Amino acid sequence: MVITDLKLKQKAVISKINVKDQLLRRRMLDMGITTGTVVMVVKIAPLGDPLDISLRGYQLCLRKSELEQIECEVI
Amino acid sequence: MKVCLVGNQNSGKTSLFNVLTGMNQKVGNWPGVTIDRKEGIIKSTDIQIIDLPGVYSLNPFTSEEKITRDFLLNEEYDVILNIIDSTSIERSLYLTTQLLDLNKNVVVALNMCDLLAKKGFHVHEDMLSKLLKVPVIKISALKNEGIDDLINAIKNQNNSYKSIKIFESDIENSIDKLSENIESNKRYNALKIIEDDTLYLKSEHPEAKEIIDNLYSRYQKRMDEVIADQRYNFIVKNKDKYFHADKDEETTSDKIDKVILNKYLAIPIFILIMALVYFLSVGLVGSFTVDGIDYLINLLKDSVENGLNSINAFPWLTSLICDGIITGVGAVLNFVPQLIILFICISVLETVGYMARISFFLDKVFRKFGLSGKSIIPFIVGSGCSVPGIMTTRTIENEKEKKTTIMLTPFIPCSAKLPIITLFTTFFFGSLAWLVSLSLYFLAIVIILLSAILLKKFYMKGESENYILELPEYKTPSFKYVSRDVIEKVWSFIKRAGSVIFICSILVWFLSSFSWTFTYGVPIEQSILASIGNILAYPFYPVIGELSWASTVSALLGLVAKEQVVSSMSVIAGLAETVEDGSLIFAQNGIFGFFTPLSAYSYMVFVLFSAPCIGAIGAMRREFKSLKTTFKAVAYQTLLAYILASLITGVGSLIMLFI
Repeated sequence: MVITDLKLKQKAVISKINVKDQLLRRRMLDMGITTGTVVMVVKIAPLGDPLDISLRGYQLCLRKSELEQIECEVI
Repeated sequence: MKVCLVGNQNSGKTSLFNVLTGMNQKVGNWPGVTIDRKEGIIKSTDIQIIDLPGVYSLNPFTSEEKITRDFLLNEEYDVILNIIDSTSIERSLYLTTQLLDLNKNVVVALNMCDLLAKKGFHVHEDMLSKLLKVPVIKISALKNEGIDDLINAIKNQNNSYKSIKIFESDIENSIDKLSENIESNKRYNALKIIEDDTLYLKSEHPEAKEIIDNLYSRYQKRMDEVIADQRYNFIVKNKDKYFHADKDEETTSDKIDKVILNKYLAIPIFILIMALVYFLSVGLVGSFTVDGIDYLINLLKDSVENGLNSINAFPWLTSLICDGIITGVGAVLNFVPQLIILFICISVLETVGYMARISFFLDKVFRKFGLSGKSIIPFIVGSGCSVPGIMTTRTIENEKEKKTTIMLTPFIPCSAKLPIITLFTTFFFGSLAWLVSLSLYFLAIVIILLSAILLKKFYMKGESENYILELPEYKTPSFKYVSRDVIEKVWSFIKRAGSVIFICSILVWFLSSFSWTFTYGVPIEQSILASIGNILAYPFYPVIGELSWASTVSALLGLVAKEQVVSSMSVIAGLAETVEDGSLIFAQNGIFGFFTPLSAYSYMVFVLFSAPCIGAIGAMRREFKSLKTTFKAVAYQTLLAYILASLITGVGSLIMLFI
């Protein structure tokens, strides 16, 4: 499954990063989105997109189109 | 000694810079307030300090992040002062591990520990210092705590720093091996080779391929991910040594967000807040200030005039001082109270942390129009002044979204346009003035969204992809910063009135008091300005449905600064005035007496949405980095305003005929 499949407040661990765009991939890695990181969707924008996820003790907003490229497993 | 200040976006870097230098740089509560480097001297020392734009890593993602990376790699400096937001310590330390790769002296300043303690967490600076082998000092930039310790730590640095080992031994060994053949920034460049970061460099290192292949066969993952992962591992596996948690519960920000970002409430709350801002600054205070205009100007003018007459001054001198300078500059200065309210509102919005939320919940809408959620920040900043608004677009990652935002930001009525709006709406629409002003703001939004669609369809084709934004914690706005920010903006408005508007007013006075034969005291219709304006009035006819040289010239002078429109109108009206009754500018038989509510509205539409002032055009050019694009943008804005205003006049007068 990918991060956008997660329900609100459901915890998951990142299993694979499939981001094609190299600049975006680098940025995601730099922001701590690496395999094994625990993430949780904490806020959904009122119109359903983007999502606010919490990881490594802070919160980050990303668009669904970006989060769809990150695979994860529910824990 | 030279120190550079580096930290994540929104980590309080600029606040610390201000505390250290006693300067007053702009602070805000959204990521990316600092968009260019700034320099200063630390108070009561000779240490030079440079504030660099916030970065999350040394792999730049946006243009302002590149400034920081390039500075750190290529320029000369002695110490890196790394400020850390303790509330997101893992991600902050990630940057620290990259800074340590540069083999420079690093001093870590732990900011916002008080905020962290409120959440029930504590950082042990001694343990962190032992781990990183650099000094770690707890500070509060906002409350001015720990600053002396920090300055002492900076003073005590000598060039003796040796990088600590962060990665597993096989990577560390590869770094050492690669470093032998690298000239400068050895460790950083070696890591770039290992990461195979083609965005940064094409490696021509002789041993590189073999080393990378070996590492790949060991990890079976792309090395950029392995490196990022191991940096975070280094931070996390040692976390219990330096980080202590009491409890883990929902933060206040999360609670506030439950309302602010609520599915049904978010947009009504947003509209309410924005309406309140403009009701306060345009509606409530606006009507008072306009009433004050004529009264105050006339009062001052009369007394100066009487004074000068009593000493038998030259008539032209009296006219220059009274009708030119006092009228022109005074017309603009009367709007200061109104601007104070507007600037307070914007400043509070900026510091409280709401801007990032607006960006978050409007992203989906804006993306449909080829904009980014981040475009809203330039727009709101632009309602104060387009110049900083346009500069804020640097935080937008996507080049197309950025260009579109630059082009559209000047459509937002800025504070200098507020005098125009207030002057016309209060006179022509009375108690409905606030509603008419609001309609202009909504028109601005409609124009922006429609233009964005047009641009997306014909000019900036392609889909937008990236959007990464950190939601900051809510903060209570600091009285000190808001007041300093407001004073600075108001002061710059007053300075403009004393310089640009002052000179322009004299020019307008001169051109409308003299004829081509330089005879003073001719009727204004025979003046130089009128003869120029009479030609230009023809193309301007559709806009107001009237041949008026005076309003044509006034609109044109808005290029210098938008408040100059009001100033020019006052000077011209004052010189042309024959009967003194009621309003000075819009007197019944006066030169602007022809204005009806309809032509007043279309005149405002033209002045508001056509080419912005020279300052804003310059800012556009700097951000576009192209004169051609700038020219196209300005031409588009002016043409659009012209067509729109003509339509309003044309269709409006047709409707008037039938009722």
